[in-house]
Amino acid sequence: MTFDRLKKNRTRLITLAILTVLFVTASRGMPADDWALTVLRGLSVGMITFLVAAGLSLIFGLMDVLNLAHGELFMIGAYVGWTVYVRPDTVVDLLTPICLVAVGLALLPLLEPTVDRWQKQLTGRLPQVWPWLTMTLGAGGVVWLFGRYPLSIWHPEEFSQSPGTFALAVDQGTLQVVPAESTGLIVVLGFLLAGFVLAAGIAGWRRLGTAPLSHSGLPRGAVMAGVLLLLVAAVCWLANDSLSNWLLNMNTTGRFFLAMGAATGAGVLLGGFVETTLIRPLYDRPIYQLMLTLGLSFIGIELVRAVWGRPEFTMPKAALFNGRGDGCPAESFADLLANQCATMSLFGARIRTYNEIFIIVVGLVVLIAVWILLQRTRLGMIIRAGVQDSEMVEALGINVRRVFTQVFALGVGLAALGGVLAAPSIGLSNDMGTRLLLLALIALAIGGLTSFPGAAAGAILVGLLQQFMIKYGQIGIPLPFLAEPFKPSPPLVPASAVLLMVVILLVLPQGLFGRNE
Amino acid sequence: MLSVKNIHTFIGQFHILEGVSLEVPRGTITALLGRNGAGKTTTLKSILGLTPPTSGEILFDGRSLNGRRSYDIASLGIGYVPEHRAIFRDLSVAENLKIAERKRGDLARKETLIFDLFPDLKRLIHLSGTNLSGGQQQMLAVARALVPDNDLLLIDEPSEGLAPVIIEQMMIAIKALSAETTVLLVEQNFIVATQLAEYYVIIDEGRSVQSGRMADLVDDQETIQKYLGAA
Repeated sequence: MTFDRLKKNRTRLITLAILTVLFVTASRGMPADDWALTVLRGLSVGMITFLVAAGLSLIFGLMDVLNLAHGELFMIGAYVGWTVYVRPDTVVDLLTPICLVAVGLALLPLLEPTVDRWQKQLTGRLPQVWPWLTMTLGAGGVVWLFGRYPLSIWHPEEFSQSPGTFALAVDQGTLQVVPAESTGLIVVLGFLLAGFVLAAGIAGWRRLGTAPLSHSGLPRGAVMAGVLLLLVAAVCWLANDSLSNWLLNMNTTGRFFLAMGAATGAGVLLGGFVETTLIRPLYDRPIYQLMLTLGLSFIGIELVRAVWGRPEFTMPKAALFNGRGDGCPAESFADLLANQCATMSLFGARIRTYNEIFIIVVGLVVLIAVWILLQRTRLGMIIRAGVQDSEMVEALGINVRRVFTQVFALGVGLAALGGVLAAPSIGLSNDMGTRLLLLALIALAIGGLTSFPGAAAGAILVGLLQQFMIKYGQIGIPLPFLAEPFKPSPPLVPASAVLLMVVILLVLPQGLFGRNE
Repeated sequence: MLSVKNIHTFIGQFHILEGVSLEVPRGTITALLGRNGAGKTTTLKSILGLTPPTSGEILFDGRSLNGRRSYDIASLGIGYVPEHRAIFRDLSVAENLKIAERKRGDLARKETLIFDLFPDLKRLIHLSGTNLSGGQQQMLAVARALVPDNDLLLIDEPSEGLAPVIIEQMMIAIKALSAETTVLLVEQNFIVATQLAEYYVIIDEGRSVQSGRMADLVDDQETIQKYLGAA
């Protein structure tokens, strides 16, 4: 039995063995401190890539959607996280109108039967025309009201000049906040109304040409979501100043973790929204779907440019990872935690706490958490079964479409978490998503497209390889038939990832962890 | 229990079912007979909404299945054992059964029944779906359909590709479970079908052409020759 399995996976085992040998050989050409640093950097880049690749592979495996917008969702995660971290007061201001408009959309299932009954009585071209008019009216109303809704002043430049400026300003209490003027009740109620008008239009459009709705129970989930949104909107509006001040006076560590949570949550919501409204109608048309996600990625970039303006930002590191006082750089992990050092010494190398330790830890936690979700929960069981045959899963009485939405939301949430996690280390820019998507796709191909461990292994391999190439670009590889050590030039770094993919796919066409079909 | 009234089904541009009607009385085994490509499998899939019919009506327990999604139809109490078993390879045998639960504890309640019918499965419970033989996969596929409280089982080609000994075992199992549920069976092996089923429906070129009691069909050599091509 075991022997059979070894034999079946012979090529795979040999490939893994060769990779290990190469890895060990690579480590012999450099001092131990360089080696430790390079490995940690590789793991760090690998973990960020993994967070994007994991969602891509889950989504591709379960619903055969290659989500080319995944990189941009990673980027949006970074920008949302940055905003929560640097301008929480603006976020609080924004939450009121967003939640109010969303109330109407959340109550869509409640509206639908009424709209449906009403629409079925209309005659002529009216049923086709009115939903579009109403949707335009609602959307126009939202835009018009937004111009009349005051926001805390938006000066990203102040904080993006130097990574330390913002943290310093907070520490010294010199952070200048220009609070927004309070809003009239009329404008607030206007948002609520506009949301309902928009939802009515969408309901009319969805019911167009369909059979009359027969069953109509109270959609409890929708009502609960609506009430919750209304509550958030009310709190953010009524307690705007105190909430803003509380967030601004919070220390940067707390706010950073808040930013991580907010970016992930925003990713989950955005993912759920994109899947239900845009991807779902196109499951039977894969080419259209591919074009849709490609288009979404362009829209994502332009959206970020329109909202955040400046092409590049830095995100200051939180206090937890930025200590430079006594006892730093830390000599041990205990010191590191006690002094909140920015760096620590390990194997004689200077290791940055955030980039080379925190990112890897978060990546590992996510890796294990998703693994447990896949292997130990009912949802995970359904996902693993659905990757093979989603029709059969549906035939067992499981609502596969709902699982699709959940998985899409989860995947986008992971990418957004990756974005906010990467932001303090690589900074924010319009093309950060595109670059990472490419790496993630390569990692996916190496790992075997639909395999979750494959995505993790592929991402880590790509990360390690690139960092070793960068390192060898500095110190050179001594080759027996060359007088001078060979120094890989910078363009070889991305090329090496593609090369690794080509070699692995030549030997193992289904990837490291893919299935022989 | 189940009545299908003149359904038409398209797959892509192909008009596969051009008017299929059938009745499945409660507590019986009804066999769906016909040549390869006659539309037997599509009929089962149309009942489940996997290939929804474009016209006609399907009633299950008096409720119309038209316009319902597949998971919703299955949840009404219809189990499906597809043609190629569709065992989930990445799941263990236990998980393959567990996933079919519609209520918590379904599997615990049905465990005795399932292991009485298929004692082999108990031994294989921790194996992964990849490592099962064809016969074991077929047993698992039937067992999976028994986990929730299903009133109707749609079983597609249970004897296909199995050794005679295993076919024997499958037949005993299906016969035994028909005491609990109603079965609509697609079966190429005419001998197996005659031994199992009480009623039959013949489908030819996408149309239901004849139905009745199995006992009457066995003697009707003319019909057998015309629609099934073999005795």
